[in-house]
Amino acid sequence: MNNPNDTTTKHNTLTITRIFDAPVDLVWRSWTEPEHLMKWWGPKNFTSPACKIDFRVGGKYHFCMRTPEGQDLWSTGTYREIVPMKKIVCTDSFADADGNVVPATHYGMGEDFPLEMEVNITFEEWDGKTKMTLRHIGLPAGEMENLTSAGWNESFDKLAESLT
Amino acid sequence: MHGEAGIRAMKTFSSNHLRNQKVTHTFATDWLRNENEAMRRDVFQAIADPTRREIIAMLAKEPLNLNAVAENFDISRPAVSKHIKILSECGLIMIKQFGRERYCQARLGKLKQVTDWVEKYRQLWEAKLNALDEYLHELQAKKK
Repeated sequence: MNNPNDTTTKHNTLTITRIFDAPVDLVWRSWTEPEHLMKWWGPKNFTSPACKIDFRVGGKYHFCMRTPEGQDLWSTGTYREIVPMKKIVCTDSFADADGNVVPATHYGMGEDFPLEMEVNITFEEWDGKTKMTLRHIGLPAGEMENLTSAGWNESFDKLAESLT
Repeated sequence: MHGEAGIRAMKTFSSNHLRNQKVTHTFATDWLRNENEAMRRDVFQAIADPTRREIIAMLAKEPLNLNAVAENFDISRPAVSKHIKILSECGLIMIKQFGRERYCQARLGKLKQVTDWVEKYRQLWEAKLNALDEYLHELQAKKK
């Protein structure tokens, strides 16, 4: 069997596909119920102290991800499309503790983060397990990889020098 | 719009005076960092277009004047100019005047920043999905 876990950047999207060894309804609930979501939302050693979900089209979510050092990163978004057990489409932005959208610079991250992205998550039953595909729409990551392939790094350095 | 024209004029002004003046460059960089939110987001829209990606690819090899860029495309001069304007407005290209010529120069540092961001974002998602994977295992182990 091919490696079912795949992260690729093709076409116009950042796509991540994962197979979870769990039934679809459990995976679905992990994404859509706050009590579950709080338990995994963030890298290892991060915690999720707060999580609000108004799970309907037009409803919002508001999550907190806390770093091991105690820094809180809030995110928010609106649900655009919901197909139970199959699909979630929502927006994704950084936020403050009150739920207002903030730019990534609020958290000390680069100025090139888009203010709002669209995230598309689909769930499929796959041999008793769940195949989950996450896509960021409109993110031309694939093209950027072509643009920045080997041989360009020298150009980067030369030009960076000439511009300072 | 009045504001946009003003911003463009300021950008041309600041880029014409940059040269090797590090202090001026830092000031201009800081000033540019504070500019319109919408312009920063447009970097993604800018590079989504295949013609614009070709233009960046060309300019990454060497700066070219507007004519030299346009020659490489079948589309009309005004259409090429429009693409260049978009790339310049979102900061991926710098247009510098050398005598009577206007040269376009790619700002690859900026492009690299964008690529780096995508990579970090992907890593963050991977980490979250790893956590989900573990959580699902735990949940099911408890049930047994």
